[in-house]
Amino acid sequence: MNQIDLGTPMGIAVALLPEILLSAWSLVVLLVVSWRHETAEDSRLAGWLALAGLLLSGAGLAALWVARVTPDGLAQMVALDPFRYGASAVALLAGAGTVLISLGYMEREGLLAPEYYPLVLLATAGMMFLAGAEDLIVLFLGLEVMSVAVYILAGYSRADPFSSEAALKYFLIGAFASGFLHYGIALENGTTVTTNIALIGAQLAARPIQLMDALGLGLLLIGMGFKISAVPFHMWAPDVYDGSPTPVTGLMATGVKAAAFAALVRVLMEAFPSAIGVWQPIVAGLAVASMVAANLIALAQRSLKRMLAYSSIAHAGYMLVSVWAGTQAGAGSVLFYLLAYSLTTLASFGFLTALGRGGERDVTYDDIAGLAAERPVVAFGLSVCMLSLLGFPGTIGFIGKWYILTAVVAEGQMILPVILVLTSVVSAGSYLPVMMAMYMRPSPSPQRHAGVVLSPTATAGIALSVAAVLLLGFWPGDLLELAGQSARTLTQTALPLAGP
Amino acid sequence: MNEFLESIGYGQWILHALVVLPLLGAIPVLLGPPSSAKWTALVVTTVELLLSVGLWWALEPGVGTLQLVSSSPWIPGWGISYRVGIDGISLVMVLLTTAMMPLSVLGSWRYITKQERGFYALMLALLTGLVGVFIALDLFVFYIFFEVMLIPMYFIIGIWGGANRLYAAIKFFIYTMAGSLLMLVAIVALVWRIQAATGTISFSYETVLRHAGAAGPLAPWLFAAFAVAFAIKVPIFPFHTWLPDAHVEAPTAGSVLLAAIMLKIGTYGFLRFAVPFFPDVAMSPAVSRIVVVLAVIGVIYGALVAMVQPDIKKLVAYSSVSHLGFVMLGIWGGTIQSVQGSLMVMISHGISTGALFLLIGMIYERRHTRLIADYGGIARVVPVFSLIFTVVTLSSIGLPGLNGFIGEFLVLLGSFTAYPVATVIATTGVIFAAGYLLWALQRMIYSRLDNPENERLTDLNGRELAIMVPLLIGIVWLGLYPAPVLRRMEPAAQRYLQLTQPPQAVTPVAVTGSAPEVRP
Repeated sequence: MNQIDLGTPMGIAVALLPEILLSAWSLVVLLVVSWRHETAEDSRLAGWLALAGLLLSGAGLAALWVARVTPDGLAQMVALDPFRYGASAVALLAGAGTVLISLGYMEREGLLAPEYYPLVLLATAGMMFLAGAEDLIVLFLGLEVMSVAVYILAGYSRADPFSSEAALKYFLIGAFASGFLHYGIALENGTTVTTNIALIGAQLAARPIQLMDALGLGLLLIGMGFKISAVPFHMWAPDVYDGSPTPVTGLMATGVKAAAFAALVRVLMEAFPSAIGVWQPIVAGLAVASMVAANLIALAQRSLKRMLAYSSIAHAGYMLVSVWAGTQAGAGSVLFYLLAYSLTTLASFGFLTALGRGGERDVTYDDIAGLAAERPVVAFGLSVCMLSLLGFPGTIGFIGKWYILTAVVAEGQMILPVILVLTSVVSAGSYLPVMMAMYMRPSPSPQRHAGVVLSPTATAGIALSVAAVLLLGFWPGDLLELAGQSARTLTQTALPLAGP
Repeated sequence: MNEFLESIGYGQWILHALVVLPLLGAIPVLLGPPSSAKWTALVVTTVELLLSVGLWWALEPGVGTLQLVSSSPWIPGWGISYRVGIDGISLVMVLLTTAMMPLSVLGSWRYITKQERGFYALMLALLTGLVGVFIALDLFVFYIFFEVMLIPMYFIIGIWGGANRLYAAIKFFIYTMAGSLLMLVAIVALVWRIQAATGTISFSYETVLRHAGAAGPLAPWLFAAFAVAFAIKVPIFPFHTWLPDAHVEAPTAGSVLLAAIMLKIGTYGFLRFAVPFFPDVAMSPAVSRIVVVLAVIGVIYGALVAMVQPDIKKLVAYSSVSHLGFVMLGIWGGTIQSVQGSLMVMISHGISTGALFLLIGMIYERRHTRLIADYGGIARVVPVFSLIFTVVTLSSIGLPGLNGFIGEFLVLLGSFTAYPVATVIATTGVIFAAGYLLWALQRMIYSRLDNPENERLTDLNGRELAIMVPLLIGIVWLGLYPAPVLRRMEPAAQRYLQLTQPPQAVTPVAVTGSAPEVRP
């Protein structure tokens, strides 16, 4: 247990080691690419540098985690707890996966401007700030750093009108959502005269919840709801996911969502544990709406990319179910599910890059008919991903769902779990046809899938993800422990302050 | 025999070996040349059968509790361990599974012509799942086997099935998954209640059984979730609509395994989990009435629908709905005869219906039609086939002296005291069975030979005889001398009855646990 004083510059620098490393490194990469931004070679260089930066930041994160650093007194500005580290690790993983998939993809699609990679790094840094924020101001800053970088990334395929549409839509909706979030922060600050999350929690615990508190909470939830793309704040997601370059879609579906979820859990559990009666029904409503609507709409999709977009909305619904629990087990299951979902989704989007060209918007179920005969390994990997998204035993997705069910059932709630599993059955209607097309339908023409090629880096990234999906599906023990423990501090930090 | 088994430590490794061996066997199937896939699969399934036969002696007779139990921690934080063991009920189900498997592989010999490696690897994976389901003694492990088994069957139907295979495959998958996911919630909820009551978390079967009373007011809901999962699998009317599609579209081996083994997982689930966990709910008058009425509807409805099927495979599929109705009636019959009868019907139906599907597959390979109207009078052309088909059909009808009779007779006998009206109505199902099967037999085999295409049919070859002879031996042996099998199952059936008799509710701890104590 190493205590550090977050009031001193040295202390805050240590506490933010992974973020500082990553931000500084992204500036270095930016500097490098400002000299070398002509050829494919330069783009590759930037990509590898970005990967190195993510590893470096990961090392810093591991050092913090292992050293069990705790704040001396109140955690100002940033949290120092395993929940932050866990969420940051997922964000770094998402960033690294995106870079690995992008390395071959950007070259193939002729998107050679290497500024792409520093932007991925900045977005990841933003996610880490968001996931580690112990203050609503830091939370807002993290959100904006992340979002601005992703707005640009969404429109990175400049020749593609759909990519531009995605960027504009994401930007407008994102700004709109930020407005809600900002207003919510202002209201909370107005009633509690602080923006520190733990202090808000302490204040609210000491007095009854007033209308203004509830209003601020509601606005915060709306702002977060846009970022995690929960129904009814999901309207932007299908178009934006669809239009963006596929690796960026992967980043949005995993890293952005993971960071926003981590922030949501922290805000609800540290700042508003006493207002649980206010937010539980809202979260339950969002969860049910997301699960039901997204899984039903996904059934009607023909394009795989759009189906995966709706699937990511549905998974936000599943995670909201465990947020609903408001317990340590609930937070632990969110963290575990974020990892499970991110691994699977990144690999799925990685496969998608191999299946199509020019943004992969038009890859339909029919286009992958007979894939298994020509590309058995790709078909197998994609099947594993689909089963994991479905929550099938033997994959990490099942363990994730099991954890969510355990956390929610332990609160005596039976209706949400039943809706969760029934909508999972519905989701089989969109995941199984992928396998069905690949294995059970004949290929429309011989050599139809000759173009299905993955770059070596993407292959490595996807292979690692799929292996993790399977291995952690069978031996999740240690990781479950870790996720459960990570969430413990969330409930603990608020309580001592809430006492008097 | 016992000394020999003990000398090789049979009891310690056999259950693990039965689960692992098929999976290991799938590797050479996948990696070897396509032409050798079926040979490898045949060798692996035969070795599996030979290994499993020893269980017959390894199981202590006269003991109703679970035996050969072994357990190793898996996810300790959640109280999950890999826990397996068997009793008389699982013993016969495992043996039925391992016996049907090599026959199914042989039955696919010529039928499967594309992607052979994939097919036989999936068959072996399915074998692992099926054996695992019957020996799992941890609810988590059971659930995993219960679900994972869907994947091989989904592919077997979807890739090697008939014209409408995609629809059948996804329907089969979604139906089963819907039920099992509800059961998943019930498992989690049950364990949570027990954890709240006892302070320890464990998914072990015995622990859950001992403390299932902790479910309290949730018990009816939890029972409903378990029951729906198993009812879809059995299938009980009105959850049966996936069955005709899946059976008819599946390739021969798929139909055989679906009918012979996978349907029994549903009834096995009732016997092992749903009823013993919640005896008060399951045996309450209201629930009993519903189940018995649905079982009898299944018996009659299945028989009536079978009667009008023009497709022989569909006819046999619907006959399964009818036969499984008897099993459900016997499970709720509440006497040792009815439960033993249910178990016998499970075995006999596995053998007879498996044999029927294999025979239909054989004739289909020759004639490429399953319509009864396309045949007629083939007894003169293919006498051996016709003879075997007749014997198997008669056993399915329940002719005394063949295996079908003893089970249905015991069910009806044992259930009569508790449900006289339902039993009398169910008895007419036996008559209907004679109706639809004999009628089909007459139209296919014995009427006039008026279609010249049928004159060119060839009779069974050596491989096909090798499939049918063991089944015929089983049919006759179980019909004439079922006592050894009944004796093996009796202690387990007795224990099931002890667990589910109403007074059980007062002393929930009395008869559970590892020691074979008996409530006075």
